[in-house]
Amino acid sequence: MLRTLGNGSARRAGSQLFYARCRQRYASSTTVSQEPEHRDIVIVGGGPVGLALTSALRSSKAVSDALSIELIEASPLSKVSEWNPGPDAFSNRAVSLTNASVEFLRDIGAWEHVDEARTCAVEDMQVWDGLSDARIAFSAPEHLSAPQMSRMTENLNLQRACLRHLAASPSPSVKLSENTKVASVVQEGESEDGWPLVHLSDGRVLRARLLIGADGPNSPVRAYARIPCYGHAYATSGIVATLFHAPPHPLSANAHNSTAFQRFLTTGPIAFLPLQGGSSPQVPGSYGRPTTSSLVWSTTPELAKALIGSGEEVLSLMVNAAFRMPDVSLRYLNDIILSAHRSGTTISPEALREEIGFRERAHGVPGHASMLLEGSETMGMGMPSEGEDLLPPLVHGIQKGTPASFPLRYNHAEVYLGGEKGRGRTALVGDAAHSVHPLAGQGLNLGLADVRELVRCVEAAVRVGGDVGSLPALEAYPRARYLANHTVMSTCDKLHKLYTHGSALSPVVWARSVGLEVVNEMDTLKAGMMGAAGGRPEDALRAGLGAKTNWDLAVKALGAVGGAVQAAKIVRGVVGGVVGRATGRAP
Amino acid sequence: MASSVIRPLSRSVNPQEIAFFSKLSAQWWNENGEFGLLHRMNPVRTQFITDKLDLKGLDVLDVGCGGGLLSEGLARLGARTVGIDASASNIQIASHHASTDPSLATTLTYRHTTAEDVLSPPPSSGSGGISIPRQFDAVCSMEVLEHVDDPASFLTTLSQLVKPGGHLFLSTISRTPLAYFLTIFAAEQMLRKVEPGTHTYNKFIKPSELVKFFRELKDEETGKEWIRRWAGSGEVDVRGIVWVPWENQWKLLSRTASEWGGTECNYMFWVRRPEAGPSSTP
Repeated sequence: MLRTLGNGSARRAGSQLFYARCRQRYASSTTVSQEPEHRDIVIVGGGPVGLALTSALRSSKAVSDALSIELIEASPLSKVSEWNPGPDAFSNRAVSLTNASVEFLRDIGAWEHVDEARTCAVEDMQVWDGLSDARIAFSAPEHLSAPQMSRMTENLNLQRACLRHLAASPSPSVKLSENTKVASVVQEGESEDGWPLVHLSDGRVLRARLLIGADGPNSPVRAYARIPCYGHAYATSGIVATLFHAPPHPLSANAHNSTAFQRFLTTGPIAFLPLQGGSSPQVPGSYGRPTTSSLVWSTTPELAKALIGSGEEVLSLMVNAAFRMPDVSLRYLNDIILSAHRSGTTISPEALREEIGFRERAHGVPGHASMLLEGSETMGMGMPSEGEDLLPPLVHGIQKGTPASFPLRYNHAEVYLGGEKGRGRTALVGDAAHSVHPLAGQGLNLGLADVRELVRCVEAAVRVGGDVGSLPALEAYPRARYLANHTVMSTCDKLHKLYTHGSALSPVVWARSVGLEVVNEMDTLKAGMMGAAGGRPEDALRAGLGAKTNWDLAVKALGAVGGAVQAAKIVRGVVGGVVGRATGRAP
Repeated sequence: MASSVIRPLSRSVNPQEIAFFSKLSAQWWNENGEFGLLHRMNPVRTQFITDKLDLKGLDVLDVGCGGGLLSEGLARLGARTVGIDASASNIQIASHHASTDPSLATTLTYRHTTAEDVLSPPPSSGSGGISIPRQFDAVCSMEVLEHVDDPASFLTTLSQLVKPGGHLFLSTISRTPLAYFLTIFAAEQMLRKVEPGTHTYNKFIKPSELVKFFRELKDEETGKEWIRRWAGSGEVDVRGIVWVPWENQWKLLSRTASEWGGTECNYMFWVRRPEAGPSSTP
């Protein structure tokens, strides 16, 4: 599924030909009859996961020699392969790829088609609590083979790489059908073991040995397979945007724009993720390019709407404020934006700047953290001031058209294979199987891990003449992925609940600050979080096992934090009256 | 099931066994049913075969094919496969299942017959349809030996169905206390993973008995024994297979595991017929 398309421009003759060929192949069959065409694997959805899956299947010689594969995508994939923006424009959909994900993409041969200039290493992470300022700092450990925790890149860069990979190794058995919708899926015959018949918008009917849903959170394949899905909507929306900012201080740890920042506000976490370092004499061809980062801000749906409606300048001021201002002032600013939104107006950037300036003076915000001193003589000169590494650079602009918001959900399909519970010959990968809170940036990484395991199953089955649509051929896939995904998902879910909608007066703040300080003490847990947020699990233990173990540690530690919250509630029960009397009159 | 199923035509076919499996035949392709364990065993059996030879373009006979679990895999790997079974309802189920899969249309044939009848077709049976060969590059008979009445005669028939230089693959269960405990007591009676009554302990055959049989078996054409040298000779291989419950998978054990009791229960057996002609064997 394609959500956004960046600024595509120059046309590529090569890929045009590639698609034309595919269309031509089908032209005859469309007109002649609707007799189902056999496909061993039909993949629905040409998003990053669906394309990586197609790439991975293609890269296995055993698989592409033996099986016919077709990918169905409703939008024009040719636009993705022709996507070619300059270094001053970035798509708003970016992803933090773990080292394990990058390695997988390298193994299947797709990574060499990624435009590496449009990727950015994340070497450090700063995570702190918006209420207590308790903080964890992560760095990529020295012993990592690649000194990075993860690599940021645009989804489109990844999708284009997979398409280029497929175009570079064309195979008669692998087909891409763009601009094609799935009209309906029906089961052949009466019985539960009938094969899926996929009716397409171009009139063709595909009879699929295995139908794979890479078709996103509202997966039609999941609906066909009758796989139940449990979860809940968070009362939260995610705002994404492409941020332009001054290059970080050349002597700071973040000199090359390689630090990711995340602050847990009471309305949800806000993340500042590096996309591109600025111009540097050491980097050829970098002259004049803007230092760029990606925003992922989880907040209330109403505030998300109001912020995006207020225009790019107000949003960039609010991003700066969200990383710097105390909670009480942020809530005040949010209220201003919300009340303007409710009355059908928007606050002007000037008025907002004035409010921020006033509150900064009231809080005695230090110079390097000020939003008003931007462009003043202190920027990028002399020694970096103490604590400058702790905050993201000031945003001075947002790329036009990039702010967007989407609702956040927690969803997990009950099973990944229809054969386990529902209609057979179906499998789910990526968001079709699970939607996770974006606070750890794990969504696509989980999807790529799904792809790796599913392809492993398909390949193993092909080698022994197995039926790749059958349950015995595929059951190792959920065995490898279900619990691993669930662990990561529930950890993110708990983190979200722990950090959202707190009140400054609540003892939960105390628990939160203790929780984060505890986290900071535990080296093992830190390694685990890094494995999650980007580190290569192999560096801790082997492959999936390592990642799982690290996450298990994280879960245990969070359990401890949960206990602290419980304790805090009991404390509140005892001393609540006193605290209430002491603070109750304040607001 | 219809009484016509039971045709005591050959010495090895046991009418009760055939009736038993006919009754279960509708279950063959229920991957979590009576034959769930067999479905999981199939990849290991095929792996054992493909480790020995490339199936592409070979003539292969699957004796006692049941619902066609092994036959379909062999056909997908490119072997011209003939699956035979003494139960008509098995063949019916197997044919129906294969007919839904276009990848099997040209390479897989099923026949309701016995090994003996393939070797020497009875004059009465004007078997319509495609004619099947009399000898094969490979003959497989998986989990069948422990169900036949006269194993020696059955093995002799199988050996005659193999072309000179061809391969014979068997899988069966050894006659040991462990095998009794696992396959009859645990799997059938306690866990009901396998339909009770599937196995009869005294029909189980030890690997050493199979080896002895082929050591003494003189080849029809060359007069040579099928096995002249033992392990690692490229003439015979015995490998244990074990069920790993927590992975829901079977594992093929290494050759060295055989010395440590690896073939005490389920095992795979491979033997090769001597090449034709006096000087063709190196």
